[in-house]
Order: sequence, then C-alpha cells, then structure tokens
Amino acid sequence: MRRDWPDICGGLALTAVGLLACGWALAEYDLGTLRRMGPGFFPAILGALLAALGLIVALPALGRAGMPARVAPRSAVAVLASIVIFGFGLPRLGLAGATAASVLVASLPAPQPGWTWRIVLMVAITLLTVLVFSVGLRMTLPVWPRLP
Amino acid sequence: MTTWEGLLYGIGFALQPGVLVYCVLGVVLGTFVGVLPGIGAMAAISLLLPVTYYITPEAALIMLAGVYYGAQYGGAVASILMRLPGTPQSAVTALDGYPMVREGRTGVALFAAMASSFAGSVIGIAVLVMLAGWLSTAATAFGAADYAAMMILGLVAASTIGTGQFAKGFAMVTLGLLLGCVGTDVNSGVQRFTFGQTELLDGINLVALAMGLFGVAEVVANVQDPDRQGVVERIGFRRMLPAWADLRQMGWPTLRGGALGSFFGALPGTGSTLSSFLSYAMERRVARRPERFGKGAIEGVAGPESANNAAAITAFVPTLTLGIPGDPIMALMLGALVIHGIQPGPLMLEARPEMFWGLVASFGIGNLLLLILNLPLIGIWVAMLRIPFRWLYPAILVFVCLGVYSVRGLTFDIVAVAAIGLAGYLLALAAFSPALLLLGFVLGPLIETNLRRALLISRGDPMVFLERPISAVFVVATIALLLLSLWQAWRQRRNARADRREAA
Amino acid sequence: MTIDLTRRAALACAVALAALPAMAQDDWPTAPVHVFVGFPAGSSPDTLARIITEPLAQRLGQPVVVENKPGAGGVIGVQQMLTTAGDGHTFGTTINGPLTTAQRLMDSTGYDVEADIAPVTLIATSPLVLAVSSASEFEDLQGFVDAAGAEPEALAYGSVGQGSGAHLTAELFADEAGVSMLHIPFTSYAEVTTSIMGGEIDAGFMAPSAALPHVEAGNMRMLGITSAETFPQAPDVPVMAGQAGLPDDFRAELWNAFIAPAGTDPAVIERLNTELGEILADPQVQEKLLAIGWQAAPGTPADLEERIVADTEMWGAVIDRVEAGE
Repeated sequence: MRRDWPDICGGLALTAVGLLACGWALAEYDLGTLRRMGPGFFPAILGALLAALGLIVALPALGRAGMPARVAPRSAVAVLASIVIFGFGLPRLGLAGATAASVLVASLPAPQPGWTWRIVLMVAITLLTVLVFSVGLRMTLPVWPRLP
Repeated sequence: MTTWEGLLYGIGFALQPGVLVYCVLGVVLGTFVGVLPGIGAMAAISLLLPVTYYITPEAALIMLAGVYYGAQYGGAVASILMRLPGTPQSAVTALDGYPMVREGRTGVALFAAMASSFAGSVIGIAVLVMLAGWLSTAATAFGAADYAAMMILGLVAASTIGTGQFAKGFAMVTLGLLLGCVGTDVNSGVQRFTFGQTELLDGINLVALAMGLFGVAEVVANVQDPDRQGVVERIGFRRMLPAWADLRQMGWPTLRGGALGSFFGALPGTGSTLSSFLSYAMERRVARRPERFGKGAIEGVAGPESANNAAAITAFVPTLTLGIPGDPIMALMLGALVIHGIQPGPLMLEARPEMFWGLVASFGIGNLLLLILNLPLIGIWVAMLRIPFRWLYPAILVFVCLGVYSVRGLTFDIVAVAAIGLAGYLLALAAFSPALLLLGFVLGPLIETNLRRALLISRGDPMVFLERPISAVFVVATIALLLLSLWQAWRQRRNARADRREAA
Repeated sequence: MTIDLTRRAALACAVALAALPAMAQDDWPTAPVHVFVGFPAGSSPDTLARIITEPLAQRLGQPVVVENKPGAGGVIGVQQMLTTAGDGHTFGTTINGPLTTAQRLMDSTGYDVEADIAPVTLIATSPLVLAVSSASEFEDLQGFVDAAGAEPEALAYGSVGQGSGAHLTAELFADEAGVSMLHIPFTSYAEVTTSIMGGEIDAGFMAPSAALPHVEAGNMRMLGITSAETFPQAPDVPVMAGQAGLPDDFRAELWNAFIAPAGTDPAVIERLNTELGEILADPQVQEKLLAIGWQAAPGTPADLEERIVADTEMWGAVIDRVEAGE
C-alpha cells in the first residue's frame, strides 16, 4: 500500500519532540498558576500542542499516497561535516586551515570528477576568505594554524 | 526650526563632501557585507564600530546608518538569488523571490526588491519627518499587555502564509515558539532546555537558526541537482526589466507595506520582522489569486521589502527622540553616539538639530545612492547564477559559518548551524515551512515574556487585556480575524461540496 | 646514534620551551595582548574596556585587542578568556556578576572564581539610583518607602533581569527598609525606562547614566543613590544610607574589574596593575569613564580579591532571602 511517508515521519517526529519537551517541562520546571505563570507553563502547553499537531499531520497521511522525498545522504553528510570541521577547526587550524579543510570536504559530493578543480577551488576560496574577513573586515581571528 | 527648514538644512548638511563620503562608504560596505550570506547589519555594524571612534559623531552615525540599510538591500539579494536569508525579514523575501529566480525572472525579482525597498524607505522618511513626535509617544503608550496582544495578532495573521496543509504550518509555528523557550526565562531566571550549556543561556542564536534552516538545507538539496550546475539563463536587457504589468502589480503592495512598516518600526521590539511577515500575509489575503504566493508572486517580494525598509527608518524614532533603542542594532547605534559623548533623548532635536536633520536627510540620500548603485548590479547578480553551483556552495558554507561566528565569536554557534541544518534539511524533505518556524521563534519569547509580565503587573488580573484600550483593540481584531478565517474555510468547504454535487 | 641525537635535540627543545615563560618576564609583552569582554561592542562594559586599553597599548608597546564574547551576563567572556589562556597574553575585563553571583544563579559556570581567576585591579564602580516617573507622587525616599510599606507588593519596580545587580540591590534595599515590592524583570534599562514613563511600573533601580537623560528631559526623578557618597554626575541625588530607615552603612555598587587567568606570571600582573593604576589616575580617562557612568576606582590585586569575597557573601545572603521568599 502506498503511503505519504514524509508526512508520517515528519508528523511523528514532531509528536516525539513535543512529548519530550512537555514531559521535561512538567518534570523540571514550575508550572505556576494561570495568574502567575511559572517557567514551565509555556513549554508544557506548547509541547502538548506540538504533539497533537504532529498526530494531525501524520494520521491522515497513513491513508493516502504521497510524493516520495528525494534524499541525498552523501551531500548531507559532506555539507554538515564541512561545517563541523570549520567550527572545531577555527580555533586550532586558524582561518586559512579551517577554510581549506572545510571547502575540500564540502566539494566531495559535487557531480564532477577530478581533483584539480577541487584544489583550485580550495586555494581560491581560502584566499578570498582571508582577504575579505581578516584583511577587509578586520575580524579578530587567528589566520594560521596554532603551533603546538 | 520648522520641519521644512530643518529638512533643507539637513540636506545641505548631508551633501557636504566630508559627510557624503561616509554615507557612500557606508552604503557600499553595507551592500557588500549584506550580500555575504549570514552577515547581516548587526555583524557589519559591530565590526565597523571601532572604526568610527576616529571620525565625527555625525559622520559616524551616518556611516553606520548607511551600513544598516545597505545591508538590508544586500540581504535581499542573497535571499532572492540563493535563498540564503541572513535575517528573518529577508526570509519572507525569499518565499517568492527565489521561486521567481527559478522561473528565470531573476532580474524582475531583484528590480522589485530594490524599487520597493527604495519606495518603502521614502515612505518611512516621510512618516519620520511628519509624525516623529506622535510616534515617539506611541513607544511609551505601549505596555506589556499591549505588546502581548499585538504580537499574538501578528502571529495569528502571519500563520496563514505557509502553503499547503494548515496543520503543517501551525506545527512549524508551534515548534518555533517551543525553540524560543530555550535559554534563561526572563520572568523567573530559570534556565530552560539549556542542558548545562552556557552558550544556550541567551537562547538559540537567531542567525544560526536562520542559516541552518534556509541556507544549509538549500545547499544540501542542490549539491547534485543538475539544474543548478550552471544555469544558462538567456536574458537580454529587456527581460531584466519588469514589464508594465509587473510594475502595476507592485504599486499597492509597496504602499501598504510601507505604511505597515512605518508604524511597526517605531515600536520598540521586533517591528521590522513583524511588519514584513504581516505585509506578506496581508498581500496574500487581499490578492485575487492567493494560490500564486510561494510560487513567484511579485507582490510577495514588493510588500515585505517595502515594509522592512520603512521599519528600518522609523526604528530611529524611539532611539533618537527618547534615547530608547528598539532592537539590538539600534542599541549599537546609540552606543556609537554615547561613545562620542552624545546622549540621544528628548532634548536632542533642540540641542543638536544638525545631527537629527542631517541624519534624516542622509537616509534619503543613502537610499537614493543604493538604488543607483544596485540597479546596474542586477546584471552582475544575474550573471552570477551562471557560475556552476559546485564552485559556489563551498564558499557559501564558509561564509555562513563566518557570518554566524561574527555575531558572538563562539564556535559553538557554528556547530549549532550543522545541527540545525540537519533538522532543516529533514523538515524540507517533508515540506514543512521554515519561515513559519522562524516567525514563531522570533515572536515566541516576546509573547511569553510580555504576557506573563502583564499578568504580574496587573497582580494576576486577566482583565488587563481588555481594560487597556490598545490591547483591547488587538484582542478584538485577533478574534475577528479568527472568525473570518473560520467563515472562509466553512464557505470554501460548502462551495466544494456544492461543486461535487453538481458534478455528480 | 641518530635516534639518540634526535632525542637529545628534542629534549633540548623541550627545556628551551619550558624556560620561555620565565624568560618572558623581562620583555613581556612579546605579542599582541587580548582582552576578553563578555558584552557586545558598543555596550557600556565594552566602551569602558576600550577607554582603558587604548592607553594601555601605548604603554605596553604592543596592540591590545578587545575581543567581544557576549552572553550569559558576561560569564561567556570569562569562560572564553580561560579557554584561550596559556600564552601569557590573555586577559579580561568583567562586571561583578560573573565573579560574585553567577556561581549561585547559574547551573554551572564552568569555572571557579577562587581557583581559576587571578585579580589584577578594580577599574571602576557604579552606584544605582532609584528612579520614578516625574508624574508620580513620590518626592523623596521617605515618601516612597511609606507608600511601599502600606501593604506587601503595593509598588512594582523594574530591573534588568532576575539576579541582576539592579534586582539584588532593590531586594537589599527593600529588606533593609522593611518593605516588600513586586519585582518585574526586564532585559534592558531601555525597557525599564519605557515602562516607568508609561506609568506601568512605579520605579526602577537603574544605572545613573541610563536614568540621567530622562531626568534632564523632565520625564523622571531620582530619589536616592546607593553609593556611600554622592555621584559626581548627579550631585543633587541624596545618598540612601541613613535615610528612610536604612542603616548608615547601606551601600551597593556594581563594579568592573581587570582579571587574568590563574597561573599568570605575578610579575606580569604587577606590571599591569601599575600601568592600569596610572591610566586610571589620568583625569582625562576619569572624565571619559564618568561620561558613561563609571567612576574610576583602581586598587591592588588584594583589594579586588577582598571585594570579590565580600560581595559574594553579601549578594549570596540576598539571593538566599529571595529564594526563600519564593
């Protein structure tokens, strides 16, 4: 049977998030009263509401056909990894090092074979970034890798 | 000094070469920085602030103001061309601007954004000049109950902007509101959902959220998209310019957006974001064929752009006339003045008329310069789309990271972009609207804080929302809007049923 | 043999590296000095840092870079200073909160003031004023206290947040005056001002620099100041101590200090203390600080340490009472 999987998964995921938030708020934060609301009041209500809305999205989707989602796992992993590398690399590798590493990783899933263009791209973007942010905008950043 | 004398004096002041040069410098820098994804006016101004210690206070403020609205023009370009809004305001512009690009109407979309931004700022300046005194009283007349009621009306009105199922849109608003709860609760000081991370005490970084939801999700979806590997868009000069029909469609939305923006901009808070969302919602409501929205409707670009630029101008009203900055950017501007030994406030208009009127005149001159600067650039921006996407996106990612980093200088926020980006990509796969999440996130803390504050001040009496006249108007309007929506939905269903019966 | 040589070379290198900090004492600073500030560019603590680091750079002969790491009421600035520490060129300026009350108010700050922070010098202090709308009936402190004492929570006051200096000062004031007021937390003095002028709340404990422009414009009135002496910027505002039932030693001040990571060379701290002391004695610098609401108050590292301990205890007691009252 064909089902609208994106809506089912999306709706159920929201329900899960809503329930978790609501449960956490109920357990950890003071609800207060209607007149003097505590810090838990809003998150608890919003969590419950989100859980309900998730079900409203997911349940009707069980009985209808939907558009299949086009997932691109390789692109997603490379793009997210390049951001994480940049984040952790910035204090250690400096602006130049972090940029080069993250550009190289990001370019991996591009539908064009060969290494030459990737290296050229890496050098070009690194140069541009250092020029714009460090020289031009004067952001206080270490440019080169930190020597041990 | 009468208003006209003041304005003439101001124009004379702002046209002095020594002042004009900083205005030009500001708008050029602002445009350039605004185009970089993730770097908005806030980051640009904080980076440039130390530079202004060495110039006169008038020149400093005029330059920073130039950066401020220059960054708005640039931000519109980034969100239209690449769906990379650096701020919630330009997220609205991306809703219809980006579909226009994919239809091959890039030039028209950019023209619409520029022209309506300019028109919006002219409206804003007119309002500033004529109604500054009245608007400044509005800022103190609004209490916590009034803000809460107004924000709720804004939320309800704008919740309809998503396309597709209502439940999905509403779920995104709710998720946004919930994410807005993260951080220290203003009313109790309790740290909610921070899990011991000091970086989360002030909440999730807004820029990280916007870039993760829009930018990163967009890049992931397009890395292997054959359509984006160098779009060879054949466009002559004629296709870059809007047709007469386009211009006619832009007229009223621009005026309405400008009016909305002028009003909300003057209120401390998030006037500019609220006004662009409201303008979009309004255009969708009055449009004869609302289903075109989200698929490249030019009104969806013109209205919000006009609104947020008008709001950017009138946001100076409480800052200059009361010395009360409405948002972090205005607080920065105020800081810049205080560093120079000038305390804006109720006495500024009398004590430093050259400053006030010079600034007002420079707003006009700066926006004119931006229009002149940006129209020829449209050709260059369109040409940029021909660059294969694989050459662009690694640079986009690095710029996004640096843009987010520039806000607070914390690498935590960069890693947060990756996490939010993953969530944003999954939400995009299931066709949930990120713009509505962003709206909920921006308005949520304001609604919660003001609602609870209003009840605290009234010692727990909920009647405060009906006793205060401003709040009462908003409450009634919200109820009317809800009833109207319900009635429309009921009528639609009845018509659909009637059609089906006829068909049978 | 070759291995041995390399090993010996490596050892020599290690010894040389270890000796580096010791050698650095004489010719410090050898690189640009970084000063972390836990507040955004353009804010009052940032402006203060820039006013004192400009002459400091001239005296040290090296650039002094102000690094803004805003967040969590200044705690992030201190955290970032500590994570970057280790090169002998990393310092910070901070308001009192992260050194005195943050440990009590936050789940975890990630540092221990006594073990991780080396005090250099107090930079400046700022009192708070009790401000009311000029349309209000209160003419002096006694009238205000009388009205506040009529019934619990008869009057509402605004502060810049739960646990902020303004909140704790107000609670200390209320406790000493024997009244109880309703606390309405805001996030900035701008919001407090709007709310006072709009007649929504009755009063606010504010920084003098935030209240003064509105007082001069005739929109607000200041009923008292929390310092031991009157403030040069607002000499007419009476000192609270000894008035309206408050004890004679009533005193509450915010301050801003220059700090270093623990383990910083004592000679470097000594040098900085001397340089900053001379900078803060300069009348021009004092005037600039006063313009943004800070009164220069240099002292020895030991003075600062004492102040941290005393204030931690004083505010800790106030926090205990506030928590007990909830």
